Amino acid sequence: MRHLSIQELHQDYNNGVTTPSQVVEGYLGSIRKSHHNAYISVLEKRVREQAIRADLELKKTGKVPSDRLPLFGVPMAYKDLLTVKGERTTAASKMLENYIPPYTATCIARLEEAGALGLGKVNLDEFAMGGSNENSAFGPVDHPTHAGFTPGGSSGGSATAVGADLCHASLGSDTGGSIRLPAHFCGIVGFKPSYGRISRHGVIAFASSLDQVGPMTKSVYDAALLTEVMAGEDIKDSAMIAGQSPKFTQDLFKQGIDLRGVRVGVPKEYWGDGLDPDMSRVLRERLKQIKEAGATLVEVSLPHTKYSVSVYYLVAVSEASSNLSRMDGMRFGVRPAQADMASSLEEQYQISRSLFGSEVKRRILLGTFALSSGYYDAYYKRACQVRRLIAQDFDSVFTKCDVLVGAISATPAFKRTEKEQDPLKLYLNDILTIPANLAGLPALSLPVGTIRSEKLPIGLHVIAPRERDESLLQFAQSLETLFQNASQLGRK
Amino acid sequence: MSATLNSDVTRKIATLARLKLTDEEVVRYSSQMSQVLGYIEQLKEVQVTGVEPMVQALPGCTHTRPDEAHPVERDAEGHLPTTKHAPSVLHDSFKVHGIL
Repeated sequence: MRHLSIQELHQDYNNGVTTPSQVVEGYLGSIRKSHHNAYISVLEKRVREQAIRADLELKKTGKVPSDRLPLFGVPMAYKDLLTVKGERTTAASKMLENYIPPYTATCIARLEEAGALGLGKVNLDEFAMGGSNENSAFGPVDHPTHAGFTPGGSSGGSATAVGADLCHASLGSDTGGSIRLPAHFCGIVGFKPSYGRISRHGVIAFASSLDQVGPMTKSVYDAALLTEVMAGEDIKDSAMIAGQSPKFTQDLFKQGIDLRGVRVGVPKEYWGDGLDPDMSRVLRERLKQIKEAGATLVEVSLPHTKYSVSVYYLVAVSEASSNLSRMDGMRFGVRPAQADMASSLEEQYQISRSLFGSEVKRRILLGTFALSSGYYDAYYKRACQVRRLIAQDFDSVFTKCDVLVGAISATPAFKRTEKEQDPLKLYLNDILTIPANLAGLPALSLPVGTIRSEKLPIGLHVIAPRERDESLLQFAQSLETLFQNASQLGRK
Repeated sequence: MSATLNSDVTRKIATLARLKLTDEEVVRYSSQMSQVLGYIEQLKEVQVTGVEPMVQALPGCTHTRPDEAHPVERDAEGHLPTTKHAPSVLHDSFKVHGIL
């Protein structure tokens, strides 16, 4: 039994149609039968215990205690970059093949305190570095509905798990598009909140000035609810938005689909000639529907967008080279037997770190180069200066519009290994997702249909000003309802 | 900016990054990184004089943790959580190759 939203699931619990254990067993059965390679670890024992406790609670009260436990009995998958105490957390790397963390990520702890059930840890590109989920030490993940296609990355397992009904919702992380790209490829909702909205304590760091955790779901409402539960200050993450986090779900259904008066920015760089023509046609149809619903379309420009990949591949790799220096085989993770026979400490480090995959090594090298003496000003510092110009582009356009809409990437999902041999080509896939990370803005991929006879899903990119997550989610939900109504009318 | 990385520079960078590369990797990474750095050359065309570098989206560290010690407990087998899964442990410490 599959549910499109947490509300539907709760209705079935309330009506006695199903129980948390039955739902969990259904998912465990689907995971066992699945050939997608979405999961790295299934937490069978742990999730069954959680489900039994939820069954007892439901039996006792007769209805879902949604005020106290808003995520009661919601089975979730967690990107295996997030720690769960006592359960293996690999980051899809041989380096951490046996790593058992002594603490749980704050975001997961908050979800489970709100009643969520943890089905397991899902696959990703090693240390979240990649855009096609082909860089995992545990093998590539298949697209949920199109065998042989990539689900995108780096949160590919999280996207496939939702798209193939191997969980109700999942968590991903987004450093340069790693939630939104796979959501676009797989036809689900993927939300990257504002930088600093959700604690990264327990998230294995890739690029700390960009990393953000977010939900991957079947509906905007679910994304809003999960964010609401996870958001808010945490003393264990030193870069967080101060103050009380808004109630994201409060106004979602009150607004309906009234888009009158909303100023929707259409940045020309996100609608360029390089877009897949079939995808561009469907996105433009959606734009027309937005206008017909009463929104004002405003043509705008973000002129520094074209530099985003260059800035990202200096900033992110520089931070990664520093963050991943802790992976040395001394305090945790794997130390190969040969490392104990090394002739020096230096060699011991080198032998342990030979377990990194090829993409991770490439990025560590590039980051070390960019930060090294003699190159720092020309590379890292200049990248940070252009980063500010990219952020200022957004500040400027948001004086003329409330939200921005555009493409997530130039193409829909592609076949696996199509781009593997050419790192730069794969990096360029992220040119439209990276700017929101560089500027710290909330951004979401909303499924808006399929293209071509093969019915490949596509998403619409929605970006809002910094810390305006609430406005973004309200707008996205209005669009979701608008497009659903339109497609139902179209079918009649 | 320099657009190409020769094998000597790649080897030096690898040493700084504590990575041991095979000769084949040195050639491959030199070529791939040169390609990426070639692309990054585009940043040269941007006028950045007087632009303050932006190192993150929030104004720096938003808060700090109080400097307090928190007790850790040993598990039933006597292990500390910090060292329990370490590759090599001696007297509650991480065992590494000698440096003297």
